[in-house]
Amino acid sequence: MSKVPALELIDIHKTFGNVEVLKGISLKAYDGDVISILGSSGSGKSTFLRCINMLENPTKGEIIFNGESLNLVPDGSDLVSGNMKQLTKMRQQIGFVFQSFNLWPHMTILQNVMEGPAHVLKRPKHEVKAYAEHLLDKVGIADKKDMYPNQLSGGQQQRVAIARTLAMDPQVILFDEPTSALDPELVGEVLGVMRKLADEGRTMLIVTHEMNFAREVSSDVVFLHQGVVEEQGAPSKVFGSPESERCKAFLSSVF
Amino acid sequence: MDFSVVVEYFPRLLEGTWVSLQLVVLSIVLGGIIALPIALARISPVLWIRSFPFAYIFFFRGTPLLVQIFLVYYGASQFEVVRESFLWPILREPFWCAIIAFTLNTSAYTAEIFRGAIQAIPPGEVEACKVVGMSKAQMYRRVLLPRAFGIVLPAYGNEIILMLKGSALASTITILDLTGMARTIIARTYTPIEIFLAAGAIYLVISMVIIAIFRQVEKRQNRYLGSVSIKVPDKG
Repeated sequence: MSKVPALELIDIHKTFGNVEVLKGISLKAYDGDVISILGSSGSGKSTFLRCINMLENPTKGEIIFNGESLNLVPDGSDLVSGNMKQLTKMRQQIGFVFQSFNLWPHMTILQNVMEGPAHVLKRPKHEVKAYAEHLLDKVGIADKKDMYPNQLSGGQQQRVAIARTLAMDPQVILFDEPTSALDPELVGEVLGVMRKLADEGRTMLIVTHEMNFAREVSSDVVFLHQGVVEEQGAPSKVFGSPESERCKAFLSSVF
Repeated sequence: MDFSVVVEYFPRLLEGTWVSLQLVVLSIVLGGIIALPIALARISPVLWIRSFPFAYIFFFRGTPLLVQIFLVYYGASQFEVVRESFLWPILREPFWCAIIAFTLNTSAYTAEIFRGAIQAIPPGEVEACKVVGMSKAQMYRRVLLPRAFGIVLPAYGNEIILMLKGSALASTITILDLTGMARTIIARTYTPIEIFLAAGAIYLVISMVIIAIFRQVEKRQNRYLGSVSIKVPDKG
C-alpha cells in the first residue's frame, strides 16, 4: 500500500500584478515530516506557505490534503475556493502560526486557546478548558492564562499562538517565520517549543531563517529562490553539500 | 437678571428634558440597530450591495438635519397615500417625525463609524480567524464585532453627544423638548437669558453624564489594551 501524503502541493503559481512570485512549486509532506523552507527574502517562501491554506489565492496549482483535492475555481487571474465548506474543514485541520502571532487582543490567553475547539469544533467547554490549560502548561505559560495578549512579551505571545494552534489538534502545522518578529533573546523559547513538537512526530512545514534549527530539526529542507525550488533534500545534504550555486551562496551568506 | 423664573419654571424645563432624552435614546437605539446592517453592507465586496448604503450615507451626511426633519414632517403629509396609510397615525405626530428623522440621520453616521472600526481591525486578526476555520458568521460574532465595539466607543460617544445637541431641532416642529420648552417659557416671561442659560446648563449636565459613562465603558472594554495606552513620563 502506497502511503498518501498528508499534504501535497502541485505546481503552485502565484502572480501579484505582473510579478510572478511563485513559478511552479511542488511539495509533498508525509505524516511526521518536518520540512523547513529556506530562502532569502523575496524568494516567495511565505507566499507559498500562505497559498497552502488559501490565505493567498494561488494563480495556478493543486492542493491535496489527505488525498482530497481542494476544489479551486478561477476568479479573475486567481484561483479561489469553489467550496467554502471544504476549505473551512481543511483549515480546521491545518494549523498556522504567524510571524506576528495575531492573537485576539480582546480575549484572555486561555480564551484565545479555547476559541477554536470550543466555538469552531464545538467541543464540550470543560474538556476544552482542561486541554487548553494542559497546552499552556506545555508551552510554559500556564501562569499567564488570565492575562491579555498585550501584557505578554513577543516570545510568550508566540508560544500562546502555538498553543492556540495545537488546541485544534491539527494534522499539519504551518509556521510562517515564527521567530522573525522576536527579540533575539526570545527566539530560543519559541524554538524550544517547536523542537518539542517535532520530537513528538508532528507534521510541520516551517518557513524560517533559523538555519541551525532547520538543520537539526528538519527531516527535509527546501531552498527556494525567485519562486522556484533550487535545492531540496535531507538537511545533511542541503547544508553539507548543496548542488545549486545559489543555495551555496545563500548558505555562505548566512553562516 | 432674575433667576427666580428658573426656579419657578424648573419643573417645566425638566419635562422638556425628559422629552429630549426620549428623543435621543430612542433614535440612538433604533439608529444603532439600523446602522449595523448598513455598515456590513457598506464593506461588502459586491458593488451593488455596497452602493445602497453608500447613497444612504451620502444623503444623510450631506444634507442638514433640519432639512431632513422638515422633509419628514411637512413632506410626508403631502401625499394622499401616506395620509391614508396605516403609517399616518405615526407620521402625523411631530414626536415620531422627529424620531424618524433623527434615527435615519444618526444611523448614517453610526454606520460610517462602525465601518471604520471594522476596517481598523488588523488584518492579521482576521487571518487568525480564517486559519482556525471559522465561518464568516463566527468571525463576525466572535472577533470582528467585539473588536469593533472597543474601537468604536470614543467616536460613538461623540455621535451621541452630537445627537443630543441636534435634538434641539425638534423644537422647530412644535415639540416641547428642552429647547422647545425653553422657548415657550420665554414667550411667556421674556427672560431669554435666564431660561436659555438654564437650558444650556441642563444640556451640559447630560453631556457630562454621557462622557462619564463612556469613559467607564471604554476603560472596561479596553482593559486589554492597558499596556499600550500612552503613559506620561515622570518628571525629573
